[in-house]
Amino acid sequence: MELHLNRVDYMQVGVTSQKTMRLLPALGKKATQKVAIADHDGILTCFGMKKGEAVPVFKTLPGQKIVRMDLGGAVGTPQEKIFVCSGSQVRGFTKKGKQFLTFEANLTESINAMHVLGADLFVCASYIYNHYCDCKDQDYYLSGDKINDVICLSSENLTRLVPVLACQDRVLRVLQGSELAYDIEVPGPPAVMEVYSKDGGEEILYGTTDGKIGLVHIGENSAATKWEIDNDKKKGGILCIDTYDIIGDGVNDILVGRDDGTVELYGFDSSNEPTLRFEHVLSESVTSIQGGCVGKESYDEILTATYTGWVTGLTTEPQKAEVGPGDEVRMSKETQSKVEALRAELEQLQVKVLQGREQYQQTSQSSTAVSAVPIFSINDKFTLCQDDASYSLTLEVQTAIDNLLLQSDVPIDLLDVDKNSAVVSFSECDSGQPNGNFLLATYRCQANTTRLELKVRSIEGQYGTLQAYVTPRLQPKTCQVRQYQIKPLSLHQRTHSIDQDRPMNRLGLVGQFSFAEIHSWVVFCLPEVPEKTPAGESITFYFHNTFLGTQLEATYCKGEAHFSSDNISTISILSDVLSKEATKKKINLNISCDIGDESVSHTLKMIHPKLEYQLLLARKVQLIEALKELQVHEGNADFLIPEYRNILDESADLLEEYKKQPAHLERLYGMITDLFIDKFKFKGQNVKTKVPSLLAILDNYDLNSLLDFFNEA
Amino acid sequence: MLVPIFTLKLNHKINPRMVTIGKFDGVHPCLTAATQAGKVFIHNPYTRGQRTVAHRLSQSTQDSDISLLNINQAVTCLTAGTLGPNTTGDTLLVGSQTNLLAYDVHDNADIFYREVTDGANAIVLGKLGDIPSPLAIIGGNCALQGFDYVGNDHFWTVTGDNVRSLVLCDFTGDGKNELLVGSEDFDIRVFKEDELVSEMTENETVTSLCYMHGSRFGYALANGTVGVYDRTARYWRIKSKNHAMSIHAFDLNADGVVELITGWSNGKIDARSDRTGEVIFKDNFSSSVAGVVEGDYRLDGQKQLICTSIEGEVRGYLPASKDLKGNLMDSSAEQDLIRELSQRRQNLLLELRNYEENAKGVPEVNSGMGVIPANTQLQTALSVKAATDDQKAHVELSISTPNETIIRAVLIFAEGIFEGESHVVHPSVQNLSGCIQVPIIPPKDVPVDLHIKAFVGGKTRYISTQFHVFEITRQLPRFSMYDVTFDSSAALPTGKVTFSINDRPQRVVMWLNQNFLLPEGVESPDVTFHSLRAGGLLSFKMASNGQIIIRTDDIDLAGDLVQSLASFLAIEDLSAEADFPTYFEDLRTTLTEVDEFHAVHQKLTAAMADHSNYIRNMLVQAEDARLMGDMMTMKKRYRELYDLNRDLINEYKIRSNNHNALLACLKSVNQAIQRAGRLRVGKPKNQVISACRDAIKSNNINALFRIMRAGTASS
Repeated sequence: MELHLNRVDYMQVGVTSQKTMRLLPALGKKATQKVAIADHDGILTCFGMKKGEAVPVFKTLPGQKIVRMDLGGAVGTPQEKIFVCSGSQVRGFTKKGKQFLTFEANLTESINAMHVLGADLFVCASYIYNHYCDCKDQDYYLSGDKINDVICLSSENLTRLVPVLACQDRVLRVLQGSELAYDIEVPGPPAVMEVYSKDGGEEILYGTTDGKIGLVHIGENSAATKWEIDNDKKKGGILCIDTYDIIGDGVNDILVGRDDGTVELYGFDSSNEPTLRFEHVLSESVTSIQGGCVGKESYDEILTATYTGWVTGLTTEPQKAEVGPGDEVRMSKETQSKVEALRAELEQLQVKVLQGREQYQQTSQSSTAVSAVPIFSINDKFTLCQDDASYSLTLEVQTAIDNLLLQSDVPIDLLDVDKNSAVVSFSECDSGQPNGNFLLATYRCQANTTRLELKVRSIEGQYGTLQAYVTPRLQPKTCQVRQYQIKPLSLHQRTHSIDQDRPMNRLGLVGQFSFAEIHSWVVFCLPEVPEKTPAGESITFYFHNTFLGTQLEATYCKGEAHFSSDNISTISILSDVLSKEATKKKINLNISCDIGDESVSHTLKMIHPKLEYQLLLARKVQLIEALKELQVHEGNADFLIPEYRNILDESADLLEEYKKQPAHLERLYGMITDLFIDKFKFKGQNVKTKVPSLLAILDNYDLNSLLDFFNEA
Repeated sequence: MLVPIFTLKLNHKINPRMVTIGKFDGVHPCLTAATQAGKVFIHNPYTRGQRTVAHRLSQSTQDSDISLLNINQAVTCLTAGTLGPNTTGDTLLVGSQTNLLAYDVHDNADIFYREVTDGANAIVLGKLGDIPSPLAIIGGNCALQGFDYVGNDHFWTVTGDNVRSLVLCDFTGDGKNELLVGSEDFDIRVFKEDELVSEMTENETVTSLCYMHGSRFGYALANGTVGVYDRTARYWRIKSKNHAMSIHAFDLNADGVVELITGWSNGKIDARSDRTGEVIFKDNFSSSVAGVVEGDYRLDGQKQLICTSIEGEVRGYLPASKDLKGNLMDSSAEQDLIRELSQRRQNLLLELRNYEENAKGVPEVNSGMGVIPANTQLQTALSVKAATDDQKAHVELSISTPNETIIRAVLIFAEGIFEGESHVVHPSVQNLSGCIQVPIIPPKDVPVDLHIKAFVGGKTRYISTQFHVFEITRQLPRFSMYDVTFDSSAALPTGKVTFSINDRPQRVVMWLNQNFLLPEGVESPDVTFHSLRAGGLLSFKMASNGQIIIRTDDIDLAGDLVQSLASFLAIEDLSAEADFPTYFEDLRTTLTEVDEFHAVHQKLTAAMADHSNYIRNMLVQAEDARLMGDMMTMKKRYRELYDLNRDLINEYKIRSNNHNALLACLKSVNQAIQRAGRLRVGKPKNQVISACRDAIKSNNINALFRIMRAGTASS
């Protein structure tokens, strides 16, 4: 079934956070719903649509930035009370805009997630979870990693309230009072959760920062995963989810908003599998999404709010194409009055801005005045992509970006992204100079670019900082710098468990260091480790290398740390970095290494299929051009051997595949070379002179000869 | 929204920029394009199954509508059109690195096949100036050549560098066509027959040109820029990170004015308004666009825009019908208008907030906000720095703040002087200060606008996360890499150019001050400079009678100076005497080398002919032996054949090296003529160029040098 939705822009507010827009329940059966939206200026706006125009119901005064919003109300009544949180404060408003609640949560950190259920209020700061009932403290929990979202289930089948936390370390934590009941492993760091059925129930939907969606059934003591949708097309991370029956088949459809601006609608087919039914791409992150009826009664729509505060509907109402007698497309009367009002407002603003500019100019005559321009907000994300083992950096600003300067003090490669239309230019940087720049690149953006996406490839063992200077097109011109750490083991990712049967290399550290110190070193070395020192005496983290598939286990406590990995290079990097860090703090470390020689051949055997595949692919791609020429020359390809004909037939796919992984082979070669050097480094031999012969072997690759070379040298 | 009215998959690759449409039988338009393996394919869907196979033409086995034309050489350009006076249909012209073929597809016969030593990088067919018959004009290595329908060249001239694009249009508005030439030295030159009327300098190789309407033409550069010129003034331009493969003028929205259609390397096609450059339509191919042409492909009397991709996909678009109202994109105009207005409102609100917050003063809590004194102003200075032990000679741009603020980073956007379009200086945290020196080494003598953006922050213990951005534009004068010296002891260069002007010395001084980086300025027109780029001196002298002597060993520089001065003083015609002993000596050697290479070339060709005879014999012998069952002899013959083959390959390598060397020499000869021309302005310039040509044609080397020195042959 083809679904066609038309886009309608309703209004614009300030910058919005995730989950800050909701539709108030409809009063009658067919009436339109009011929209409540809160922004970073601290303003809560509630409006409804009348004849195509947004009519505000109420608007609060500016204040501290609002990061979450939820609707609530006494059980059994319409959920039409609006709750917003800003800082460590929760406020409640009636649907008329009367503030009836101000609640200070007394947290040291500001709240970043909130859920309201009847008289129960659940709030989370970075690591802390708090449950209040009628504003009285009930439960408290300290999570092992950052909490991204909180939700609470209540249904007849459950004997108690079941709060669920979505945590950065790829688990959903299910609580019982102040205790952890159990946790559920999910395929990525969950960013958002939503109850599947509006009337309660025990099923929750989650969306991850790497773009995956799943449905889990939560029981009091265990959970079951119903289904998962992978992110094959490498779309953005999930920011918001809602369920609403927009197709009209009686089953709730899933509405999804992503941080690359994609809005998706999943329906269910006959076998109850979710299938994509509709997709629309907005130009900026979709922070909130909900299904309902806003623009015109009896026309359902998907309502979205974006990062820069646009409230946009994708409605089932057909667009009327009015073509008048003139040459111009005649605008409807409503639009015309809207445009006129906007123009009038613009003119007034122009005057004000001119005055402002003049005053600002005047201050430059004064010798005592200072110029301090407020900080503009940047929405940024720097994440490791599992598929191609590269980092993706996205930057989003509320106005158009003029230019971006990227600076790095470590060698990294900048990859081209199709979606990015900015003109990139690399500036030469002599790394010999005292300035220590390894990359200086400018991106000059096309007009109206508010969102930029870049891809960066790092090398394990080389660590430092990547800085991005963002200059928006806004007077007085300012730029803001954002820093991103490239960690020594940058290609590693947290995982839930590892294969214990692999041959391992072990690194042991003993010394006079505290738990916090060793933890800070691990944070320095590895991505996705919470910055807060974990509770308890000791801790174990598991990682896997996204490029090679090797693994790492880190267990440490006060005075002692153990790392084991089947990749000898990982151990080598760790031992180098950790001893350097310890020397900085003047702590004596006793380092012991237990190197299993068979681990190297094991790693090589693990690389083997990848390498073989890549070599074959490279060879095939090399042949395509020549074969095609032969084909043209001879008129057909029948005379070729089947293998070559096959290459010709698959040429498009092969080229596509090859394009997807630039420099893959070189990276594999680099890692094998590291492996070789590291293996002998632990034996106290320097084998750098033998690298050319290793490369020669790699050029005529054969697993056995490579293994022999590693053993003999 | 506009959708293609037909889509074809041709199953043949298409070489970029080598696509045309020709009515070879006078009626049916056929898409013609160069493909791999030195072939040209002709797509003729109208007369299925009536064609014979003969001569160069053969039927494609993959597609019955396609016939293939064997050129046996890598095709470099092609076009089709009316060349001869009494032909039924269009003539197909195919250029390669060494030859130009004029071919009658309908009669399946060669019209002419000419050797062109300068190669054919670009081709255009049409009438030029007052020349009565249409010419096929090819652009090669620094040379332009025009052939009529029997293959005689009626037009020849030289240009500054390898020609990459050509177009014929009435640039001056006199009712006759001028030739526009885009070349690798970033210039667009306009020739009225062989007289150079205008020159526009761009900042990259000019890869495509197309005629729009009136005096407007579109252009595309190798760095992803496309734009439109009106006469010599640039109307608009845009830059993309992709490369423009092909540009074409077509009225897609049926408003009576053509739009600039661009096909990009990422497969995008867009149509831009000729006035504003605003995109009115876009579409996407899955692979790079190869060419954009137009023709009545459905034979219904309407012209279609036909776009082709390198993978052989073809799409045709009809101009929009009236009820689309020029709105070709899939979005509603009113929504866009409201959105744009709201966006502007938001921007203004934000700006207003900036001023309001600024007026409130510095907040108590530190939020990383960069606070600087309001009276901070950025000072910039340009100066010439001679080479030192650890740094090459350069122009130094010094940027400083007057107070204790620091400069975090400096971005300079400028065209043509950096590797990319920008240069960044980003000191490490330890080296932050309020003063930054940026060394600039402009590779060419061109005036450049430096768009400087400096990130200025307050001096504080911590590093603030926000900086003020100061934007300043400074102009780098044309001849910036020349350091004035007052040391008169050094020997003056031997090369010189002498000419007279009727202008006051003060005007010349003015020109000097504007075009050189002089720390204090000069008062008299007698100056000596030290050239930082090439070394050596440059001396400038003006006598009271208006005679100017420029002494330098660099003939290019002398030419640039003459051209710059002439345009500053608005001189239309200027003859000059010149002498560049070292350069002329080099040229003489080159000319003898050319002869040598020609001789070697002939020898090698003869040897190759011998060898191929030999091969034929050997093959016959070997096959005889096989049929006789004499395996021993057969093996022996085949071994010999193999050796011979290896020899041939080696010889081929020698031949191709020889050919490349020959090309390089020919290019430098062409350049020499161009350089000799650039020492003069207007009519004397054209006289020098054509006289030089004649001297080369008649192989009169002494006359050539006489012309270069004196400006005329007779003296």
